[in-house]
Amino acid sequence: MTVLAEDDLQITLPAGVTGRKFDDETSHGLSHCMKAVDFIVELGDRTYFVEFKDPENPKAKPKDSAAFLKKFMSGAIDSDLKTKYRDSWLYEYAEGRAKKPIYYLVLIGASMLSDADLLTRTEALKRQLPAEGPNDRPWGKPFVAGCAVMNLAAWSKTLAHMPASRVGREMEN
Amino acid sequence: MSNITHIKLDNFTSFAGLDQAFSPGVNVIIGANGTGKTHLLKVLYAACAVTVGEDKEKGFALKLRNVFNPYEGRMGRLARRQSTSVKTRAVVTREGGAKLSAEFSNHTNKPDDVKVTGETSWIKEELASAYIPVKEMLAHAPGFLATAAKREVAFEEVYVDVIKRAFLPKLMGPTDKDRQCLLTALQKAIDGKVVAKGEHFFLKNRQGDLEFTLLAEGMRKLALIWLLIQNGTLLSGSVLFWDEPEANLNPALMGEVVEVILELQRMGVQVFLTTHNYVLLKEFDLRKQKDDQIRYLSLFRDESEAVTAKASDSYLGVDPNAIAATFSDLYDRELKRSLGGIKL
Repeated sequence: MTVLAEDDLQITLPAGVTGRKFDDETSHGLSHCMKAVDFIVELGDRTYFVEFKDPENPKAKPKDSAAFLKKFMSGAIDSDLKTKYRDSWLYEYAEGRAKKPIYYLVLIGASMLSDADLLTRTEALKRQLPAEGPNDRPWGKPFVAGCAVMNLAAWSKTLAHMPASRVGREMEN
Repeated sequence: MSNITHIKLDNFTSFAGLDQAFSPGVNVIIGANGTGKTHLLKVLYAACAVTVGEDKEKGFALKLRNVFNPYEGRMGRLARRQSTSVKTRAVVTREGGAKLSAEFSNHTNKPDDVKVTGETSWIKEELASAYIPVKEMLAHAPGFLATAAKREVAFEEVYVDVIKRAFLPKLMGPTDKDRQCLLTALQKAIDGKVVAKGEHFFLKNRQGDLEFTLLAEGMRKLALIWLLIQNGTLLSGSVLFWDEPEANLNPALMGEVVEVILELQRMGVQVFLTTHNYVLLKEFDLRKQKDDQIRYLSLFRDESEAVTAKASDSYLGVDPNAIAATFSDLYDRELKRSLGGIKL
């Protein structure tokens, strides 16, 4: 069983599913010119690009958490998330690995976000990537199969086979 | 003037036994369709209305009938529908303990046969109020009052009342700072002032006079609030009832509407509003300041299909929250679609 963790957030992959840290300066090697999502998870029929954002990290300063939430609610974060996805996709494509449909999963460690907020960001990200081609028609060769912005509760409900949790809380138990 | 502190409704329309205390500030009523949000507003409004002007002579029972406008004017139709006979009671309490109560049964026809108690002392102290219905009425004002007086239209009396209040002349004397501030903010939002010529309302600005029938419906609502503040209907100690402020309003304007409501509350106006709108709820949550008093009332049907209420003084405590639940359902389905059926 593989656990992918970054600071206080983690996801636990089921047996048979592999995942790797992608946003790693040494192994990535092009951090100076390309952004990167945190992890890449390989399933039989699909690939997940996974990005963590953790404003409620116990080590985060309240001022920084508030600034992040403001950035999130205002939509300023969308462009950040979009660039990470596109650069990661280009990297994987150029390496000859982007062969399966790729889904983009964003995990936000913020319990106070409502489903309405998460729905709004999911839709905005879809428009920004963009998931659809010009004139509202599908791309001839789609580069993103789907995307979702979730908090811990929504993630674990939707992706019950690879639940998300807080590292700190687990150590307390 | 003393605001409304409490209501008790026994077997009244969809309520079996509602027993609810109110905030002296803003009371936000939410709930699915058919949970009696507007009914609650109307009972409270009828109780306020009979303390002022010509409604004093009508009395509580007749005012109740006129704002609800039941079939054939029969009071008994306001009783909760049951297979047996039911006794209905509505009791409204004000600060200081004054109570106004109406009792009747499902067999009662005439308002005269309703047992009203506490009315004499209740109406001694005026409680000015305004009720803004979902449908905007100012554009339809010409001829409406005359037609309504002849009982040629079967409109609920709240429509007549709001037009009458809009026609009240500008309050004499200097305008105090808080009110002037609000009026200026509203003038900015509607880009002008409201003037009445005969029975016609116009928005007056640099481009001239624009009749209300040509004005966006959302703007007309803000214009109505401007009128009610300008003519002194909404002063400290008065009560504002607003049924779905969001109706016909662009979500981008919602913040300004919420700011106006909060500002009225800070001036000492008690507010009761109903809403189905997430943006409006969230604006209250985000714009609320430390001393603002907001109570959320969630109406829902229990196992016996009777409507009950849960109150909370914080947005996150609203439960059940029919509005947020709708978004959760949309979000769930969006995730399922976006992730194309989760498989291993």
